[in-house]
Amino acid sequence: MVRVDFAKLRFLIIDDNAHMRRIIRTLLHGFGARIVYEAEDGASGLEAFTNYTPDIVLIDWAMPIFDGLELAQMIRQPNAHSNPFTAIIMLTGHSEKARVMAARDAGITEFMAKPISAKALYHRIISVIANPRPFVKTKSYFGPDRRRKIKTSFGGSERRKGSRSDAARHGASSDKATVSR
Amino acid sequence: MSQGKSEKPSVVTYADHEIITPPNKLLGALKAVPAGKAEDDPVARAEQALEHIASEFATWMDQECDRLDRARMEVRAKGLNRTTRGPLFSAAHDIKGQAATFGYPWVAALANSLCRLIDYTPDISRIPVSLVEQHVDSVRAIVREKARPDVAMVADTLAKRLREVTDDFLVRENRDRPEYLESILAPPVIPDEQ
Repeated sequence: MVRVDFAKLRFLIIDDNAHMRRIIRTLLHGFGARIVYEAEDGASGLEAFTNYTPDIVLIDWAMPIFDGLELAQMIRQPNAHSNPFTAIIMLTGHSEKARVMAARDAGITEFMAKPISAKALYHRIISVIANPRPFVKTKSYFGPDRRRKIKTSFGGSERRKGSRSDAARHGASSDKATVSR
Repeated sequence: MSQGKSEKPSVVTYADHEIITPPNKLLGALKAVPAGKAEDDPVARAEQALEHIASEFATWMDQECDRLDRARMEVRAKGLNRTTRGPLFSAAHDIKGQAATFGYPWVAALANSLCRLIDYTPDISRIPVSLVEQHVDSVRAIVREKARPDVAMVADTLAKRLREVTDDFLVRENRDRPEYLESILAPPVIPDEQ
């Protein structure tokens, strides 16, 4: 069984609703978190992200100044000074397919529809820590791999050239890629 | 955790994209606990912490309803436009997301119907103010009558009727946008995780 030592993690909550911030903070402290920062709009959220370098950011979608999607895109700047790989969990009242896809395309790590439960939030946090997805950088996207599973049975054309699913089907990837550290 | 020693991510470069695996600096926060040896349950602890502030929820719900009512008053006075839309949608959306946590689960569907009405109408000035008023009054009535034994049934009946009227309106208003209509009438993709 895996447990998280929340006392070792730094959280940043960005939500314009004070009641929701209090609820999320209460849940995080209940899990054992000690360091929980808050911001009430996208602009102060970005400032807090840069200043506090949190490990996990929990953001709302609809906020004044700029919204959660715009904020996620600002965090996911590959050459940013702050950590662009930071886990972002979006907590929102939106649950429509188009919204979920838009969040995914903005580089959100995990998506949670409100109302939030302690159990669902806990499992999202475990997931971003224990099973982080690699990042993908293309001309138009930088963020966690949007493919959570590789379908080896997929027979259509690939959007990515020389991708991992190609490698899975053809059994070789070393001739398609260069590796660096 | 963020201030540990910095390691570089590993990068695999393909023809048109890179796969980047950053070092997982958060792994240090994970600890293995033998099955059956778990001390306390963090989820139960968090739920208990939420219980400690639950006495404030009724006041918070009233504040959210007042906010919705103020937004409705603005719509009544000035009509639905770009200025009055934001506060109305924001108030309804927050109630949709918080009502169940505050102990008013039946209110979420009413607020959701109002959100859909505002969000999916191409020209918001065409939304009948009376339909906005009916949504807001329904939310306030169900919150006020929370103690009634049949509140769940009344709320469900109200929500279904409002949803029907709203869907009829949205179908008419989006008749020239079939691609939107499909997503408007689609069920949410997020499963219930409560």
